[in-house]
Amino acid sequence: MQVEFSLIDFLLVAPALALFVASCIPLLIKVLRGNQEQNDFATLIYAYVGIVVAAGFSLAMSGSQRMAFDGALVFDGLSSFTTVVVLMVTAVALTFARDGSATNSRQFTEAMFLTLNAAVGMLTVVWSNDLIITFVGIELFSLCLYILIAMSLEERLSKEAAFKYFVLGSFASALMLYGISFIYGTVGSTYIPDLIQATPNLLATNRLFLLGFVLLLTGISFKIGVFPFHAWAPDVYQGSPTPLTAFMATGVKAVSLAFLLRLVASQAFTVERFWPFVDVLQWLTVLTILIGNVGAFRQKSLKRMLAYSSIAHSGYIMIGIIAAGIGGAGMLGATGVMFYVFAYAIMTVGAFGVLHMLEVRPDSDLTSEDLRGLAAERPWLALLMTVLLLSLTGIPPTLGFFGKFFIFSAAVKQGLVWLAFWGVIGSVISVYYYLRPVVAMYMETPLLRRETYQMKPLSYFAVALMALLILVVGFASEPFYQVVLTSVAKVF
Amino acid sequence: MLLSFLVFLPLFFALLVAAVPEKLIRPASLIMGLIHFLLSCVLFYRFDPSKPTLQLVEKAAWVPTFGINYFVGIDGISFWLVILSAFLTPLVVLGSWHAIEKNVRAFHICLFLLLTSMVGTFVAMDAILFYVFFETSLIPMYFMVGVWGGARRLYATMKFFIYTMAGSLFMLVAIIALIFMTQDQLGQMSASILDFYKLQIPFVANSFLNTQTLLFFAFSLAFAIKVPMFPVHTWLPDAHVEAPTPGSVILAAVMLKMGTYGFLRFVMPIFPAATEYWAWLFMLLGVVGIIYGALVAMVQPDIKKLVAYSSVSHMGYVMLGLFALNVYGATGGLYQMLNHGVSTGALFFLVGMIYEKTHSRQIADYGGLARVAPIFAIAFLIVTFSSIAVPLTNGFVGEFLILLGSFQANRLMTVFAVLGVILGAVYMLWAVKRVFFGGDGKLVTEHAHDDLDIGAREMFVLAPLVILIFWMGIFPSDFLNWSKASLDHLIQDRTHYELTIED
Repeated sequence: MQVEFSLIDFLLVAPALALFVASCIPLLIKVLRGNQEQNDFATLIYAYVGIVVAAGFSLAMSGSQRMAFDGALVFDGLSSFTTVVVLMVTAVALTFARDGSATNSRQFTEAMFLTLNAAVGMLTVVWSNDLIITFVGIELFSLCLYILIAMSLEERLSKEAAFKYFVLGSFASALMLYGISFIYGTVGSTYIPDLIQATPNLLATNRLFLLGFVLLLTGISFKIGVFPFHAWAPDVYQGSPTPLTAFMATGVKAVSLAFLLRLVASQAFTVERFWPFVDVLQWLTVLTILIGNVGAFRQKSLKRMLAYSSIAHSGYIMIGIIAAGIGGAGMLGATGVMFYVFAYAIMTVGAFGVLHMLEVRPDSDLTSEDLRGLAAERPWLALLMTVLLLSLTGIPPTLGFFGKFFIFSAAVKQGLVWLAFWGVIGSVISVYYYLRPVVAMYMETPLLRRETYQMKPLSYFAVALMALLILVVGFASEPFYQVVLTSVAKVF
Repeated sequence: MLLSFLVFLPLFFALLVAAVPEKLIRPASLIMGLIHFLLSCVLFYRFDPSKPTLQLVEKAAWVPTFGINYFVGIDGISFWLVILSAFLTPLVVLGSWHAIEKNVRAFHICLFLLLTSMVGTFVAMDAILFYVFFETSLIPMYFMVGVWGGARRLYATMKFFIYTMAGSLFMLVAIIALIFMTQDQLGQMSASILDFYKLQIPFVANSFLNTQTLLFFAFSLAFAIKVPMFPVHTWLPDAHVEAPTPGSVILAAVMLKMGTYGFLRFVMPIFPAATEYWAWLFMLLGVVGIIYGALVAMVQPDIKKLVAYSSVSHMGYVMLGLFALNVYGATGGLYQMLNHGVSTGALFFLVGMIYEKTHSRQIADYGGLARVAPIFAIAFLIVTFSSIAVPLTNGFVGEFLILLGSFQANRLMTVFAVLGVILGAVYMLWAVKRVFFGGDGKLVTEHAHDDLDIGAREMFVLAPLVILIFWMGIFPSDFLNWSKASLDHLIQDRTHYELTIED
């Protein structure tokens, strides 16, 4: 077989190449300097340059449906939209990492190398048009993340988190690979368009294929944190250094959901034989929402609280996924999902960012109590946190409200009112735990003895940018909705 | 442009407050509040009360994909509520001159944000825009109670927020359902309330699980919590008691009206069949609220809590009137909404004024106050008369019309509702007796050398309210004529209600 690659193929994957090259330069410099760490700001600049170049390439190439490497990678609206989200959270997370007390060690160069390569893995998943490539991408970013967690300066929880994530993540990957093998056995190909074409037929007739498909969904559910595959999230999110948690909680979810959306476009959920499974999926969604919210309700540690809340948000997004998959006005669901993913990424990165800014030691684990009186001491930071938390709650006119509005709209349109009902119940519970920190910041008597904060201007800027985006995009949700709509239109 | 000005000018004022020097915050806020009120008075010239149409309309696309517009307009139903919001804000600034001592700047920012969301709620003619303002109003009030409130403020503010949010999220889902219904029936997605009126929503009597009934209850729950109706009223006593004086005033005078306004604007015209069918339930709950609120108020040792429970009772009257579904009842209901705003607002001001000086709200601590604070006692007594509906005061007109209307609709319930009039007199007059007359209480002896009476500033706060009490009581048609056309149209054409836009 003759294999030929044209220049356009390389141009299309240029974002990943740019990230990879940018990640290698500081590492190379460090080696040449005799393992001496260079200025961490310089390292960060290299990373920014890589990300900006990557974003430039991806935007320049967006707007058209293209394939690269004989159809192994696909570049359509969905991939370029998710690429932008991933690049954005990567940039923000790296900014945090440079300021972070648990991440900025003598090994910041390595951390930056691993983060950028995790981003490369995420991009691979987003672009992938073949299950094997998807798997490679997932493994690439997972392995980078395992090491990154373990590199934390915090000595106890991070090691536990890394190990837990590694063992459970490997197990999920294995299940997924097992599922892919069944799919290959029945479809005779791992090419996603083939899979999508074959799904409606094979699901109804072939049990092996059904098993493979379910296993594939299981593997993805683990990454997204859907009940009952959510249990790792609180421990891992708490144990990881906060900048990394911000990266994991958003990047991994965004790409996994984008991939899931591609699978769902296969009309699998409309196959009659598959209905019982769709029912199960609906119940899992409901349980995800409830467990996420009730779990968050009971947490003291704010990081754990946000971890559980991210499970709850996965639940809301799953409503959209189901609405996207059951035919009819599936476009509404798909658009709602990607809109929510964007909103979720911004809000979560921002909220973790505020926590990160308040941490003074590598092992800081903030609770609501620690935020007492923050409004008096650092009013702007408290205001930013309030905006982020209100958006997470879904109070209008923030971005979070419109995210929920679009998701619930899709559910109502698709006759899934009862899922919207559970979403509402979940949101009501969430009011309590999202407003707890606000109560602490503004209304409780200030802490008497407070550890001195370091100023982290770059992180501050990043968080402020996120909060601003929440308000601006929330207000101008129509043009943004149109952008998302055209992005997913090709896939559906 | 007038309505947009009224909505967004306070937002601009909030920014200004953030910039003025510390010392000037209160005077500046007072002037800005007065400017806003004067601007709202322009409505008297621009609004034509003889037509039942929607006037001063402004429309701009916001999220066209879902038919959501920035769409504001005013008719006879919202007219007085807008004026009321604008009228109370300068009074609140003046009334809280000494009540608020810490974070003065933040307080006034909250106040103006609240004004924006209140006016916005009343003029929004797009369901989503309405929802946005309706929900946004929670945030400043949440801070107002939580930051400047009393000892149990954290519990109270959280409860307030969760209760209201729980109701309104169900309403959000119902609004979404209506939006898709416009797509099916009118061919185009629209969140405009005017288009909602055109919908034919399937209704089945004697059953709960049909579209119209479910949507009806989704909306009703949101508004019933806000009103608040028995049995979802429990957030109100907590929030009212813990809120600082200005917070209580705005909460009672304006924010409770968002609920009753919602019934008039959404529930009754959009779901006429379900309203007709379930009216008995709301009248019943209204009557239960009237009697229950009065009985509980009677035994309160805390005067602020007494006023809070009297709110439950008064709002029960409003609901009774609205769901009598005739012109008398609805007119009385609307009038009582304004009365309650004026008289309960004034009561909270009065309670706050005396609390500032004595730092006690326990009725048992007072006694003989009339002798040392005669002007205060006179003001209090006038407002009390208004609250218990003595003829020549505004309360009488409202309650009389409501009872007239509900007598036509349901005699038995009216008989019980009339009990509330007596009970109201009992708890208010009894409280007045214990506070103002009798032997000198503990506080009056303690503060023997202090001046407990009200000063000039406080008189400026109370004078407009007292004037209004008599004006509204003696010349009710001065006020009712402005909403008559709209209300008649709403009640008489309820089953096929349509609101047209005045060019």
